[in-house]
Amino acid sequence: MKTLLIAECREGKFLDTNYELFGFADKLGATSAMVLVGRQDDLPAFAGKLYLADAAKFGEYNPDLHKKLILATVDQEKPDYIVFGHTSYGWDLAPRVAAALKAPQLSEVVGVADGGFELPSCNMKMRRTVKPQGTPVLLTLQGGAFPVLKPGGTPQVVPLETAGEPGVNFLGYEPAVAKDVNLSKAEIIVSAGRGIGKPENVPAIAALAKALGGELGASRPVVDGGWVDHAHQVGTTGQTVSPKLYIACGISGAIQHLAGMKKSGFIVAINKDKDAPIGEVADVLVVADVMQFVPALTAKLGK
Amino acid sequence: MKILVCIKQVPDMESRFKPDSAGVWYSDTDLAFRMNEYDEYAVEQAVQLKEQLGGEPEVVVLSVGPDRVVEALKKALAMGCDRAVQVQDPAAHLKDPWQIASAIAAYAKGENFNLIFTGLQSQDRGSAQVGVTLAEILGIASVTTIVGFEYADGSVTVRRELEGGLKARVQLKTPALVTCQLGLNVPRYPTLPNIMKAKKKEILTLPVGELLHEEARSVTASFYAPPKKSGGIVLEGDVAVQVDQLLDILRDKTTVLR
Amino acid sequence: MDFELSQDHKLLLDTLREFVEHEVKPIARRIDEEHQIPDALVAKMADLGLLGSYLPDAFGGAGMDFLSYILVVEEVSKACASSGVLISAHTSLCCGPILSFGTQEQQERWLPDLVSGRSIGCFLLTEPDAGSDAGSIKTSYRREGDEFVITGSKIFITNGGYRGTGIVFATSDKTLKHKGISAFIVDLAAPGVTVLRNEEKMGIRGSYTTAFALDQVRVPAANLLGREGEGFRIAMDTLNGGRIGIAAQALGIAEGAFERALGYSKERKQFGVPICDNQAIQFKLADMHARIEAARLVTYRAAWLKESGKNYTLDSALCKMLASEAATYVTKEAIQIHGGYGFICDYEVERMYRDAKITEIYEGTNEVQRVVISKLLLADH
Repeated sequence: MKTLLIAECREGKFLDTNYELFGFADKLGATSAMVLVGRQDDLPAFAGKLYLADAAKFGEYNPDLHKKLILATVDQEKPDYIVFGHTSYGWDLAPRVAAALKAPQLSEVVGVADGGFELPSCNMKMRRTVKPQGTPVLLTLQGGAFPVLKPGGTPQVVPLETAGEPGVNFLGYEPAVAKDVNLSKAEIIVSAGRGIGKPENVPAIAALAKALGGELGASRPVVDGGWVDHAHQVGTTGQTVSPKLYIACGISGAIQHLAGMKKSGFIVAINKDKDAPIGEVADVLVVADVMQFVPALTAKLGK
Repeated sequence: MKILVCIKQVPDMESRFKPDSAGVWYSDTDLAFRMNEYDEYAVEQAVQLKEQLGGEPEVVVLSVGPDRVVEALKKALAMGCDRAVQVQDPAAHLKDPWQIASAIAAYAKGENFNLIFTGLQSQDRGSAQVGVTLAEILGIASVTTIVGFEYADGSVTVRRELEGGLKARVQLKTPALVTCQLGLNVPRYPTLPNIMKAKKKEILTLPVGELLHEEARSVTASFYAPPKKSGGIVLEGDVAVQVDQLLDILRDKTTVLR
Repeated sequence: MDFELSQDHKLLLDTLREFVEHEVKPIARRIDEEHQIPDALVAKMADLGLLGSYLPDAFGGAGMDFLSYILVVEEVSKACASSGVLISAHTSLCCGPILSFGTQEQQERWLPDLVSGRSIGCFLLTEPDAGSDAGSIKTSYRREGDEFVITGSKIFITNGGYRGTGIVFATSDKTLKHKGISAFIVDLAAPGVTVLRNEEKMGIRGSYTTAFALDQVRVPAANLLGREGEGFRIAMDTLNGGRIGIAAQALGIAEGAFERALGYSKERKQFGVPICDNQAIQFKLADMHARIEAARLVTYRAAWLKESGKNYTLDSALCKMLASEAATYVTKEAIQIHGGYGFICDYEVERMYRDAKITEIYEGTNEVQRVVISKLLLADH
């Protein structure tokens, strides 16, 4: 079985998330070649064939030409699977390639199932197993669904060229700006409760949120006490949230709070009290002093 | 100018979903349906463009599905679209994205739309394929995931949302298709007078059989709830060990740790 | 028979639910605490068309049917009864009589401003000594050339604090009792109109309940609504329709409280199980739901009768009585299900309990409704 992995280069860098494509190929037990529109001086650590087009020439976002580059590679490699990340790059590009190849595409693959692939549906509440009809099959993989795998080695670079007019014209990137607090859209929330002890400890919780790329949340007592702004409050009198990961730090789990966060995808509670009601909704209850545990976790994530 | 907006009707995502008798999609009964959230941004942007151009463009809204999708079409009409097309298909849930895009393309081909707006994806299926595939079949330019839109003299400038808060500015010439992402705009509420006016607007019904002659390229074999959470895990003991245990669990059970 | 809402009603409901969820619900508690509906919300409701749902589009209304108006009041009241009664009093008690009894000129003069929210409507019938016995009002009027001059006092005037447009009832001769009463359309910002106070209340605290003094208020003769002496009939007819609006408000309050109680009973755990696993709670939920659904059917039927031009006096009294009693019952039980949490303000059911009570009182106490109902039942006795 053969996979053609479509890597992504952003702001001149080979993205680390590309290594999840190798993790997927490994799970299939397939051999891999990779396509990269990127830079000669930032190549993946992998010993296979790397079809390399110059991003300086073809752009980082130029779907029409990238499509042509991939099609040229498909011609040579004849892969069974053409694999993208389910990202703004992958979901934009894959359907163009699929349309040209008259090939099936499955989006946001989270697992490999008997004769098909597992895809989430209905806001991740449900799943379906979908069987592609025909080959090759285009797949976009949900971020984090497959493990990062760095095969190591030096790629055998095959230069890639194409010609033609791009349909869209990339004008440039706009850097991220400081966001308003919008907990309802956050994928990760780390919330502080009274168990953190004193307002001086809030930055330690915020640091964990930052290390995870999430937002800071808070329980009512902490907000009422003026330790954290109300915009961060989770619960009946604050916001109702359902992030993929919710970490409750020193929150005992008053029902007002539980009502605001119990629909979260995965809940971790850090609490000294093993019997705290937060334990009833937690997937993992870490029985520990929150101000010992949280800095230790943040430090570990920083490594 | 002629504008097409493609919308889908989806269940309220707060609902509890049960597999249908065939076990390949959700059972319709007891579900409340509404316009796909991303498609509301598409409708709003199309109507804003019509307003920007002094009302000149004709905005056509289209949906593929059973007769209940007329409710979503009526909402789009009440928001300001001019006329509606229902591609009538009681079995739309069995079609794959390629077939849906093909059916829409068969309608759109003769209409020569200058601009097509779709949602980034549907909330129930989440394929994010129909928009781009439609553009590819029609042979027009397309760009996905827009959170900003400007139009002037046949040229469209959009902001694409990338990961991590980064945006990209992209320009394309009409005819073009864009797929709309959360944050593009704030969809208006259809006002009560406009709900009444929408009753007089045309809703054309086209049986899907007249438009679709393509086979599915993928088939859903089963539809099910993901495995239930097992009871909570309790980690006790040394903090350093707990940290490692927690990170292992998070890598294994969640998709958020990179 | 068909109990299904039409596609257009469903689209309306969809719109209302979205609007209420985003614009009303988040501030309902603040409205109660600050005793005021923000002007911005009134403007948003007007922009959406909530202040003229069943008025003809010629006056800027939506031209919907009466059931649509009922759905508007019900959905808004689910989140905020104060906002619900603003719409209800404005529409049923002010726009309604102008539409039913006004001349073309009067309709063109007053309705566009009311529908657009530039002026909020109210209904000035009640006086300190004339509540249920409306025929005994003392506010008097006399004709002076091209004007009527009105003097008296009015209390418990919903929406009065906006000083918008009022339907004022006054008598030319108290001894004529109800036959001496006429109705006038009055600009409440006019000279001689004084707001004595906006009352402090138990519930619907975001809604103005205003006491007015009318001192030699000069009203153009053109503002006489209907004919002289027709005022009592206009008042009774207006209240007859208004009661369906109050029923819708009560229904909304009850539904809002029920939704919260149902949700809470599934969340709250005691003795290791959600409290809804207890039959004591289950029976409460069943009783609450039953009363809501019974009230809803009668309310919608009353709306349908009115829309169809059939006699709806009996049904409007029935639905007002049933829905308001459902509201006080359901909100009380909702607090009980919430236990101590229901008694504190965080869960908002305590506000709903306070808001519900007035629906048994205004636009005809439930005792008056029983009089109306029994009189009709015994009409040939």
